[in-house]
Amino acid sequence: MPLFSSNRIAFVRLPVLSVLLLTVGFFIHEPAVGESRQAEIVPTLLHFVTWKADHPDAWEEAITRFEQAYPHVRIQREIAPHSSTAYHDVLTQKLKNRDQSLDLFFMDVIWPAEFAAAGWALPLDEYFPSSERRKFLRATIEAGTYQGRVYGVPSRVDGGMLYYRKDLLERHGFSPPRTWDDLVRQANAIVEGERIRQPALRGYSGQFKQYEGLVCNVLEFIGSSNGSLLTKDGVRSLLAKPETIRAMQFVRERIIQKLATPAVLTYQEPESLAVFVQGKAVFHRNWPYAWGLANDPRYSKVAGRVGVTTLPHFPNGHSVSSLGGWLYGISAYSRHPKEAWTFIKFMTGTEMQTHFARYASLAPSRVALYSEPEVLRANPHYKKWLPIFQTARPRPRTPVYPIVSHVLQRYFSRVLAFSDVDIVKEAKAADRQINRFLALVGEHKGRGSFERRTTVPTP
Amino acid sequence: MTQSTRDQTTGWVMVLPTLTVVAIFSLYPAMDSFLLSLHRIYLSLPGLGQSFIGLRNYTDLFQDSVVHEAFIVTLGFVILSTTFELLLGTGIALVIHEHFRGRGWVRAAVLIPWAIPTVVASQMWRFLLNDQYGVVNLILFGDRVGEYVPWLADPWTAFCAIVVADVWKTSSFAGLLILAGLQVIPDELYEAARIDGARAWQRFRHVTLPLLKPALLTALLFRTIDAFRVFDLVFVMTQGGPGDATQVIQFYGYKTLFTEGRMGYGATISVTVFVALLILSACYVRTMGSNLLKRDPT
Repeated sequence: MPLFSSNRIAFVRLPVLSVLLLTVGFFIHEPAVGESRQAEIVPTLLHFVTWKADHPDAWEEAITRFEQAYPHVRIQREIAPHSSTAYHDVLTQKLKNRDQSLDLFFMDVIWPAEFAAAGWALPLDEYFPSSERRKFLRATIEAGTYQGRVYGVPSRVDGGMLYYRKDLLERHGFSPPRTWDDLVRQANAIVEGERIRQPALRGYSGQFKQYEGLVCNVLEFIGSSNGSLLTKDGVRSLLAKPETIRAMQFVRERIIQKLATPAVLTYQEPESLAVFVQGKAVFHRNWPYAWGLANDPRYSKVAGRVGVTTLPHFPNGHSVSSLGGWLYGISAYSRHPKEAWTFIKFMTGTEMQTHFARYASLAPSRVALYSEPEVLRANPHYKKWLPIFQTARPRPRTPVYPIVSHVLQRYFSRVLAFSDVDIVKEAKAADRQINRFLALVGEHKGRGSFERRTTVPTP
Repeated sequence: MTQSTRDQTTGWVMVLPTLTVVAIFSLYPAMDSFLLSLHRIYLSLPGLGQSFIGLRNYTDLFQDSVVHEAFIVTLGFVILSTTFELLLGTGIALVIHEHFRGRGWVRAAVLIPWAIPTVVASQMWRFLLNDQYGVVNLILFGDRVGEYVPWLADPWTAFCAIVVADVWKTSSFAGLLILAGLQVIPDELYEAARIDGARAWQRFRHVTLPLLKPALLTALLFRTIDAFRVFDLVFVMTQGGPGDATQVIQFYGYKTLFTEGRMGYGATISVTVFVALLILSACYVRTMGSNLLKRDPT
């Protein structure tokens, strides 16, 4: 049995080896312990999980400036995926595991309720008093608030707006549409009138693929019809209300089947913008970022011929713009919440928001900056954008928003993609599904066992 | 210690590492998923606790219309894609089995789609089918831009698109498995058939096909299981849309687990898929197992 005996040697060797290795490892580790005693000199390292920025240079400079102003803090960035959903999955994975090395993150405006209820985000009331909050756009603060406590600080503001072809509207004697009926009338007249010159021209382009952006787009139609997705207290779904059904019908019959190409059902922001900048759409719904691209001659065939205005509304309603954007948040498991707050305060301050407005075209969340000469010199159009942002409305604030959103996406997409499904029936089915999950939120609140983390864990 | 018990001990000791690895990485997660599926857990609602609810997730699952639809979509996908993959795979195998100049190159070329990572291939298909610059539209309609079809915007064509992409990608894998089967058929059988006056089709029908059956069944088993677990194609090409027309069961499971944080229900979906595949594999193995055993010489 030579094999066996040589194995036996290995079996003896293995534990001995491991013990040896462990001992050596222990001694190697020893100096590291000594090192941590000199922590006073070593700056605090803040781990910031962020996404790949559209303007990396502007971010690089901002962080360098922070580190110069606060030399005792260093920012270590981890770049997560760009897509909001993928970023959410990366972030929640860390938070589920109570990763103590995570200090700072961004929250999409739809996450704070979830992060708050799960105990992942630190309540910021003591750092971020209402006197300070008042200086920000109302909707952005609302988005970061859950059950009376604030969890996020708005880094900027984003909202849906209506882009239009200034040249085409002028040529056909129209001023920007106020109501959706105006928009349909104008689009039809322009497409008809341009048929020979531009056969590929369509009336409208937006984001109607089955994804989060679909909720934003449809919410604007529903909201401007005086409808809403949930009741104010967020406990019941309102999809089967007549005003909401009317809006759905309008989107399906007038927008998707008439004004837009059916391809919008596959469009996210970039695809829908491509159609517009190639001069193939009269009207286009998008976020503020599209302004720069639509007016960049290297990218856009319609540069300089683009106008922006508030989204239209239905006869009895008023304009609604879906609120987007990102809020800074601090992990409830962070060991350095104070330093993390220093960073947030710096980045959302007047000076840094001016910097981002100038070099990254990020629309500020502070109202005062919309009359700040330095900001307006770089972005004269911001003056006109403020009223748009003031019509911004957050999407439903509930801890089960990801579930609600999936039900909504399914409902909206089915109504738009299958021309034969009954809207009322689908709406009622979606209502039932959403209500089931909202009831769970009630149950969750009802149980006293849930305690919010107000104190910071000590290391 | 007798020789045989010693041998046995050695045997056990030698398989122990493998067993440990299997236990840690397969058995434990499977058991844990099953355990999770008996609980109600919402990550965003820790106040609900993690209550044991027995089989309620399973009864919910059987009444969930979204799951029903996802299962139908998945089954349709499995049946269509495996059928076409086996047909095309057989064709591919027959071609690359023949002796001709440049066979090595053809064999390599045929395998390219299979060698491309699915995510990349899906992204490529998304571009090919694009409504503005897609090559598929260019080939079909040339410069009549007005007739370009947005393939992924219509529920039915979007579903067909993911089937086509899968068939394109994995037919060669099925072909490879079938080729292995072809290579073990002795040439003497063909010679004998030829002497008896059998024509090409008859030789294929009465010699090749019966002897190819085990290989075909192996390919069928592999492809069915793989097709049942389809995820990346849908994730990249359609995200389940439009209107859930391409939402396969694994994608729905992913959404419930990772985005919605419904750990219990998500685990229930995973376990159900696991059990469905187990039953399916058992059926296949029963039918083809007998075949394989008969061919075994000893």
